Amino acid sequence: MKVALVTGGSRGIGRACSVKLAEMGYYVLVNYQSNEAEANNTLSMIREKGWDGEIVRFDVSVKEEVENAISQWQESHPDTYIEVLVNNAGVRRDNLLVWMTDEDWSKVLDTSLNGFMYTTRAVLKGMLVKKYGRIVNMASLSGLKGLPGQTNYSAAKGAVIAATKALAQETAKKNVTVNAVAPGFIRTDMTQDLDEAQLKALIPMGHFGNPEDVAEVVGFLASKGACYVTGQVVSVNGGLYT
Amino acid sequence: MTKDEIIDKINTVLEEEFEVDKTLFLPDAPLMKTLDLDSLDLVDMVVLIEHNFGIVLKNSDFAGIKTFQDFYDFLHEKLNK
Repeated sequence: MKVALVTGGSRGIGRACSVKLAEMGYYVLVNYQSNEAEANNTLSMIREKGWDGEIVRFDVSVKEEVENAISQWQESHPDTYIEVLVNNAGVRRDNLLVWMTDEDWSKVLDTSLNGFMYTTRAVLKGMLVKKYGRIVNMASLSGLKGLPGQTNYSAAKGAVIAATKALAQETAKKNVTVNAVAPGFIRTDMTQDLDEAQLKALIPMGHFGNPEDVAEVVGFLASKGACYVTGQVVSVNGGLYT
Repeated sequence: MTKDEIIDKINTVLEEEFEVDKTLFLPDAPLMKTLDLDSLDLVDMVVLIEHNFGIVLKNSDFAGIKTFQDFYDFLHEKLNK
């Protein structure tokens, strides 16, 4: 059994990634923090197509929860290991910096950046021992370009991009690749408050992307075919930022 | 595990992993240089030891280890705690 873990897999891009990895033959651990019903919907979508997986609850920003959940899963499945990790969990708490609260700053950094660290650290040794692994981190256009009103999100995603490049060099000899995907405007719950009619005028392709567009790239980076690609950031943004 | 058993096992594991002839693993030989390891490779060493001996190591555990003898002594102490 080949196993993949997708954090924040209950909805949006995480759901599309979970389905894509299941299609690729992975038993998918669909992580969620609070929305069990949507996590189960993702699992149902996977099972309806004849594939399999399970839902796993933990808050990526809480170290003990991450370590306990992953070590418990690993102990009950000693014959396999998590060979693909998609660090997708993230939240937005947009505000101009002058009005940003400490809580909103920390919440975004804790989830995207600390979540990446806690989860990756918990699964990395297994990949190194087996000398094979694929880590795909969900970055963002915001982390490449910086977007006003998102200093917290830009900081978190920019840091994830830098960490991706650093970790890729630490693990390359062991055939553990580490890459990032930077979506632009993608139709999900996270972007439903954005004015698509106005923003799409900025996008050369003229429309928002779909979660499946991102999942296709994640699927490639998670595949064996991407063996010589590491430390890279792949934008999926309809040409919005090049 | 006796110290000789530990030495025998670790030498075999190191030879396999790092593809260095174990006849070069002399007690006073420098560990990292003999195995041609740099600081990035230290993670390989940690993972290797944890996987083969079932102990959890920290990066700082390697701070005082210079020679193979240091390494054998460290493992012997750690495994017999």
